[in-house]
Amino acid sequence: MPGVVPVAGRASVVVTDAADSSALNRVRESIRDAIRDASAAGRPLRLCGRGAWMDAGRPAPASDLLELGGYTGIVEYVPGDLTITVRGGTTLGEIRDATAAHDQWLPLDPFGDDDGSIGATVATASSGPLATFFGTPRDLVLGLEFVSGTGAIARGGGRVVKNVAGFDLTRLMIGSWGTLGAITEATLRLYARPEADASFAIGIDGGGVERVRALMRQVPFKTYACEILNAALAARIGLPAATTALVRLGGNHEAVATQRQAFAELGTPVDVDSAIWKKLRGVEPEGASVVRLSDLPTAVAAVWAAAARVPNVLVHASPARGVVRVIGDASLDIAALRDGQCAMVAERLSAAQWEQVPGLEGALPSRIKRAFDPRNVLNPGILGVEA
Amino acid sequence: MTTAVISQIDQSLADRLAEIVGARRVLYRPSELLTYSSDGLPSYHKQPALAVFPGTRDEVVAVVRELAARDVPFVPRGAGTGLSGGALADGVVLIGLNRLTRILSIDVENQLAVVEPGVVNVALTRAVAQHGLHYAPDPSSQAACTIGGNIAENAGGPHCLKYGVTTNHVLALTVVLPSGDVVTLGNAAGEQPGYDLVGAFVGSEGCFGIALDATVRLSKNPEAVRTLLADFMSLEAAARAVSAIIATGIVPAALEMIDQPTIQAVEASIYAAGYPTDAAAALLIEVDGALAGIERDVDAIEAICRANEARSVRIARNEAERTKLWQGRKKAFGAMGRLAPHLVIQDAVVPRTRLPQVLEEIDRIGRANGVRICNVFHAGDGNLHPNIPYDAANADETRRVHVAMKEIMGACVAAGGTITGEHGVGIDKLPYMDLVFSEDSLAAMCSLRDVFDPDRRANPGKAIPIHSCREWYLSPAARASL
Repeated sequence: MPGVVPVAGRASVVVTDAADSSALNRVRESIRDAIRDASAAGRPLRLCGRGAWMDAGRPAPASDLLELGGYTGIVEYVPGDLTITVRGGTTLGEIRDATAAHDQWLPLDPFGDDDGSIGATVATASSGPLATFFGTPRDLVLGLEFVSGTGAIARGGGRVVKNVAGFDLTRLMIGSWGTLGAITEATLRLYARPEADASFAIGIDGGGVERVRALMRQVPFKTYACEILNAALAARIGLPAATTALVRLGGNHEAVATQRQAFAELGTPVDVDSAIWKKLRGVEPEGASVVRLSDLPTAVAAVWAAAARVPNVLVHASPARGVVRVIGDASLDIAALRDGQCAMVAERLSAAQWEQVPGLEGALPSRIKRAFDPRNVLNPGILGVEA
Repeated sequence: MTTAVISQIDQSLADRLAEIVGARRVLYRPSELLTYSSDGLPSYHKQPALAVFPGTRDEVVAVVRELAARDVPFVPRGAGTGLSGGALADGVVLIGLNRLTRILSIDVENQLAVVEPGVVNVALTRAVAQHGLHYAPDPSSQAACTIGGNIAENAGGPHCLKYGVTTNHVLALTVVLPSGDVVTLGNAAGEQPGYDLVGAFVGSEGCFGIALDATVRLSKNPEAVRTLLADFMSLEAAARAVSAIIATGIVPAALEMIDQPTIQAVEASIYAAGYPTDAAAALLIEVDGALAGIERDVDAIEAICRANEARSVRIARNEAERTKLWQGRKKAFGAMGRLAPHLVIQDAVVPRTRLPQVLEEIDRIGRANGVRICNVFHAGDGNLHPNIPYDAANADETRRVHVAMKEIMGACVAAGGTITGEHGVGIDKLPYMDLVFSEDSLAAMCSLRDVFDPDRRANPGKAIPIHSCREWYLSPAARASL
């Protein structure tokens, strides 16, 4: 599949060879045709990348599955530009491997594993602990190609790192859960791997959430990641069963060593293998109910406290981002979690739990949906938008 | 498009708007409107039929509703420093937002501020400086441009290489849609489920409505800042150094390139910064962040510059030296006023590894057309600003400038780049939009516009090509204000 070919004046460019590309063009055309046909017939489609997360989002009744995972591979990778363009079905693992060969990475670590496709990751705006430093897909995606609900192939953004040409279709598509179009290609911002990338855990008491937040507010650097885990979650990934701050630092050795020292005021940092992050990402069991609660960083301790009182849940929080993520089961009481002012974004719930989550408010979401998918054939209902 | 009819903008509309905002805040005599007939490109003139200057959020909403009721198109305007013709009102109503200058709240602990659209960019940074914070997007016009205008254009600046552009710093907006409906986009206090309406609105060039307030992120002032000036005997070597620095994984706060014609213009002006006038190019490089480890990054960058044939590398020893080095860069456009009566400022982006070839191509285009090109730009993200000083009174030279600009845009697009990195499309870049976007992509953008403004009354004729238009030129008066 992808090969490395030298191009005059550029370090090395990874492209798909010509024979593949005509076959791939047919795959892209078949995606377009399927959406056109569905639109003409008014027959809903359920979009599917690698099928890794099909129980996420509201129940979306659709007669047909549109598989996008076959449209895969690297379109262009110029390491010196720190950008990569890939087809929508390309997995995070394929991107990881291709970029690691040049000591680069896409610092995007959504919950689950690296078998998910970039198209689905972007469509669901999924991110993980590294969002603390590198942001979410909205900060990492430079351009997208998608097939709209009418079967039109459109692009937003481009392949360069800075771009204000045209309205921002890219950010509109990110997090639209496939309701506006099927993502067929993405250009992503990459980073060079840091000289040092260190992780450690610090046991903190239950009231330590606010201390961690205050420390992060005060220090003159940003952590790559800082997740606070409740005791049950810490135990689940092999750490002592106590409320734990799991911290990841990156940069040059001197910077990382100094930054680590700053965290010692919370407790004793115990070095952990970076594989711990993979365990954290993969911790949620099949059929789990998962919601994210968010508020201002100064309110995160209160949101945490309320969530941590719920029995039998795994809870982790990104204090600097003001996000608390709760992993439970079908018995998780959504109404109780929604107490207070915090915002809630549900990831996976049972059908009964979804009934307790209101749909999107306001006229704009419906108007956007109608503009891009007038026949309401793409993942209808998955976002709670009135068609 | 609806009827953009001057006849609708009659005395009764002027009277009604005067009831809302006060008679002094409604201008309709041609002499009064002259000031508003240009933006940052004042030799391009479009006279509004009427200009209205609401002083409060309620007045803005009332004005927009009145225009909606009468089906009258309008153009929102901040400080008028834009460089794409985006804030020009051609026979329609201009709504000036520069009186809405209140900073509504500052939340130091959560690093947020809520501001009205007319707050000047640097005024926000000054207001939060005492708390060790700043507002990161820093366009060269930051002493004059407004946050509302920055949001409309998704403005950048030298430091967006590390800190991101405007859209990375806006969390929520209250917007009056062209219909007069007021909506809240995003959620300052957490995630909002559903579509990224803030993302859609930022950079919409005044075509989606008017922001009444914006909740923006404030950034911590870095503990340490180091500024370096490296000079090179060829543009190509300087461009290679740029790629090599980026490839190390160090993300400089800023990485700017200044070529010889620009250096010479700066050094001959009152903004002389001590740039070596015999160098083919200089790089102005800044790293910032925590003190711990910063010298290692400075050393690494210096070594890379030398490995790429830098003749000398100078590190600013104090804040005064640092300010002086930056002053030369930020006032470079003004300094070009010495070279000729008029100046085209261009804006395009190319992949960073293509900088050496594209700069060579730009040089070739300049020589082939007999025009002088000054490059001063954000090299770290490949964001070029090829500028051409010329005399608009010389018809032949003007024609050659046109040809050169068009060829430069073509060269940037051919290299895999785009036609604007931070100035916006406005009317200036409309002729180039179909170089980068297909008909279906442009149609999708139009349908997004129709979601916010189904009557297409907000900033009609901008951002998405409806008609072709001419290049614009910056007058000496406008350059002086930069």
